Amino acid sequence: MEKRLLLLVALGGLTRYYLHSFQWIGERVEVSTPINSYKRVQEGIYLYENGIDPYIGDVVHELPIILVLLVRIFGAISSFVPLFYVLVDLLTATLLYKLAQKFVRSKLVEQKAEALEFAVGTEELQVQASDMDVIPRCVLLAYLFNPLSLLSCAGLTSTVFSNFLLALTLYFLMQRHLLPCVICLALETMRNLYPLVLIAPVVLVFAQRSKSSTTGAIGVLALFGAACLAITGLNYAVIHSWSFIDATLGFIFFYRDLQPNIGLFWYFFTEMFEHFRTMFLITFQMNATVLYLVPLSLKLRKEPLLLATVLIALMSIFRSYPSVGDVSFYLALLPLWRRCWKFMAHNFVVFCFFVVTLSMMPALWQLWIYSGSANANFYFGTTLAFSTGQIFLVTDLLFAHVKRDFCLRNGLKVYIDGKEAKIILE
Amino acid sequence: MGLLSDPSLTPRGKFGRTLAKHSGKISLFFYIAGLAWFVCLSHPEFSHGTYLSENALSPGLVDPEIGQDSVRLAQTLYEELQRERTDHKSTTPHAWIAAKMHQIGLETHVHNFTLRYPFSAGKEYHGKNVYGILRAPRISSTEGVVYTAPYRAVNSVHTDITASVPMLLAFADFARKKNYWAKDLVFLVTEQEQLGMHAWLEAYHEGGIKDSPILRCGNLPARAGALQAALNLEIQDLDIDYIDVKIEGLNGQLPNLDMFNLVQRLTSRSGLSSGYKHTPRKKRRSNRDSLEDNLRHMVEMLKSQATGVPNGNHGLFHRYRIESLTLEAVKRTTNTNNSNRYGTALSLLKTVEGISRSLNNLLERFHQSYFFYILVQNDRFVSIGDYMPCLIALASPMFIKAFLLWLTTTSADDAAPEEEDTATHEERLPMHLPYISVLLYMVAALLLGFFCNTLPYSQHVRDYFNSMGVSTQWSVGLILAAQVLLGILLPLFYTLPEAGLELLHIGVLIFTGVALIVTGLLNFALGFILAVIISPVTILLQSEHVNGLRQKLTCIYTFLLNPMVVIYLLVLWLTLFEFPELALKDMAVRAISASLDAITYGLMDSIIYGNWLYTAIAAIYFPLWILYWTLALGRKSYAVTVDKKLN
Repeated sequence: MEKRLLLLVALGGLTRYYLHSFQWIGERVEVSTPINSYKRVQEGIYLYENGIDPYIGDVVHELPIILVLLVRIFGAISSFVPLFYVLVDLLTATLLYKLAQKFVRSKLVEQKAEALEFAVGTEELQVQASDMDVIPRCVLLAYLFNPLSLLSCAGLTSTVFSNFLLALTLYFLMQRHLLPCVICLALETMRNLYPLVLIAPVVLVFAQRSKSSTTGAIGVLALFGAACLAITGLNYAVIHSWSFIDATLGFIFFYRDLQPNIGLFWYFFTEMFEHFRTMFLITFQMNATVLYLVPLSLKLRKEPLLLATVLIALMSIFRSYPSVGDVSFYLALLPLWRRCWKFMAHNFVVFCFFVVTLSMMPALWQLWIYSGSANANFYFGTTLAFSTGQIFLVTDLLFAHVKRDFCLRNGLKVYIDGKEAKIILE
Repeated sequence: MGLLSDPSLTPRGKFGRTLAKHSGKISLFFYIAGLAWFVCLSHPEFSHGTYLSENALSPGLVDPEIGQDSVRLAQTLYEELQRERTDHKSTTPHAWIAAKMHQIGLETHVHNFTLRYPFSAGKEYHGKNVYGILRAPRISSTEGVVYTAPYRAVNSVHTDITASVPMLLAFADFARKKNYWAKDLVFLVTEQEQLGMHAWLEAYHEGGIKDSPILRCGNLPARAGALQAALNLEIQDLDIDYIDVKIEGLNGQLPNLDMFNLVQRLTSRSGLSSGYKHTPRKKRRSNRDSLEDNLRHMVEMLKSQATGVPNGNHGLFHRYRIESLTLEAVKRTTNTNNSNRYGTALSLLKTVEGISRSLNNLLERFHQSYFFYILVQNDRFVSIGDYMPCLIALASPMFIKAFLLWLTTTSADDAAPEEEDTATHEERLPMHLPYISVLLYMVAALLLGFFCNTLPYSQHVRDYFNSMGVSTQWSVGLILAAQVLLGILLPLFYTLPEAGLELLHIGVLIFTGVALIVTGLLNFALGFILAVIISPVTILLQSEHVNGLRQKLTCIYTFLLNPMVVIYLLVLWLTLFEFPELALKDMAVRAISASLDAITYGLMDSIIYGNWLYTAIAAIYFPLWILYWTLALGRKSYAVTVDKKLN
């Protein structure tokens, strides 16, 4: 990497390190959720060190192997723990940078092969040599200086590790290293359940390379299953108890903690009648995982990375305990689709949505919890608006991709009988 | 559908561009609409009559039992206290108050607190609050209600309210003999105005754990459970003309409307004329006041809310979710009939009794009625759903204008070819917007605001200035003046690249909109008033065609909006009314030191009480001003370069 980029990374690190001194960041519900909060990690480490099963108390929801790793790290560098979080986050940013470089390079190669199919006058839509430089830098900046990722890292949330594992998965996916990719994905799936859906882009990428795509797909799936099992076994070996499965995956699936967050679960589950809970639980979890998986995989089978981006975005909107750290990760992937931006009609609206709702959240929280003058509806209103904004963004991205694809082949302006045609969706 | 899945390939910018040409007019329209809406709110059609939502309160269900003997007790205590006051010119007769409380049979305690003044080498002030708890026979001290009376020393500059303590004690004596209390009653006499109240509340809730080095509150020897409500008495004399109910609390927070209603109902029931903002009315629902009066009430309420300074000791309770208000009993000035001199005192005691009986019935915290309202009269109010549209109307043009500007800057090229044949190809390409430099510029402005917020708070800086022998006011003033100067010079140090100003304009508009909305949520009054004074700049600021007069006007108006200038002008305006005899030059000089005082008070309020007016202005609105200043000035330098090109 160039000197200037290293300087940027260092600046990002400094900002994170400075911000972590503000204790309140880690206490905000937007940043910390029951599964990623630093306090719970500390609690887990304390319980583990004192020989108590950390998972029986409904406090700790981190995977045992990660917990043990953290015990070692916290023990070795107890005074530099925040620095460790910052370094992991910077590593994520670097991985994203490398990933973007690789992505643009492969796009350029791909484009060269298809160059004849493109319509004239669509240079604007094609990936250009200058993008080799611009796109990775945008990705790096978008992760390093996104206020959301700054907050997430400054709050010392475990989302830092999640983002790191996701970045690793995507990186190995781009590098076409099957085994590390699947292992990272399996680990993250065991931690957070929802990354399960990312198996779709992984299968798409690696099945294409094997001789028969069906056997390839089955092979990848089998490997993923084996990796999950192996990780489960490893966890059991570490802690000699199965309680961790219910405390991690079960806790996420059954949505046991109703603490408000930026997602949509908490309000519905506090308001609904208890006997509907199972039904809505299944509906909500399906919405967060498999509902969009098949149609999107079919539509985007040629663009596995876009599929991955969209799936990550959807799962950070619909997951049971979302935090701003999750949002920041997929936002950092958006610059990869720079050539679609021309067709993203709602970007300004979405930006305003994000800014307004994110600034209103702390204000309404203050009014609800401390002043007691507002109530849960106010706060839920903003989280709903925030999610709507995100959905706008995802839809916009997908449509922009489709439009770009169309225009690449048919030209920017379609003429019928010498008049500019209007395209209608039927 | 079509909103998310619009299949057209080229965004239809034509309509937007036409609108963009009139963005100033659109903003003006919204501005006028917002103000008009606010004025309309004073019309009776827009306000609702108050009603009680919480049935448990059931005001006036019991007959008042308090009698003439309590009034006589209050009278004797008042005379005794007056004698005590001749000995204690500048202090509180703690011993006398504690002895009386003890005599009545209350569990009496004294609470000490110390204020180490954050400036001028930490001068220390000591204070003492006296409080007595009447343990409820029906509950094990899990809930309590507070009755407070501030004590003012003889040499206090504020209005004399000596009668509050005797009235409080007389009521305590009455309550002591009753057995129906279901909540502990705390009778509290505070000193040093709001400081004593604040220290007592801190001590009650934090127990000295989170004591700041500035205000050491310590712990309390006895508590009375979770406090449900509080009533503050400021009684000027036993002979009362009318009662003024004060509700505005810290940071513009208000008590639950039920609490206010309760007080209004019981005062009118016991025959006292009670009012809001010093307009007493004998009978509720009697006549509808004129629009001007209603509007005056609303504006007065917003004015006192906007500063965030509570207008009585009750205001500090709101921070702990305790509903509270102040009954200010105003002394009768016209001495008409001497025979019934203390009849009103009995009515007041009956009111307090009624309130206490109703509060005693409460089953849970106040949660039913409104927390956000503007009072039009003492029995009419405007709810949040009705007044929020004014603020939205004032804030939404920011977003609309930003959107229209965004349309023109990103797709300014499509319509151009037909009109301008001379335009070269390069110019028609979408402008490359300098996001990073604009963002950095905004960050720089925010950093200046951040310094305004941290430097005066830092102990080292304060000590340094103190060792230099600079007075508190001047040191704060100097720190802030340095920031403001930097802010003024910022656009001169650094000129944004091409199209940077347009982008900055968009960013600033969004920033303003968000800031106003968030401020308005937390404190509607402040948000609204800021919106009213900031909006004209956004209307005046033009994206294109610069014409001389308008640009000058924008510059001048923006300069006047500088927080320091605004404070100075406000203070000057006030001095103009306070001391009309002074010469203009003297007044201008005097206003400087007065405005420095005002800034220091704001800072002090923020440090001691947690009033965030100073923080908000310094951290958000000052950086915003820098950005507006850049925009107002930046036009000029841009125009100059264009002229040069033409030549």
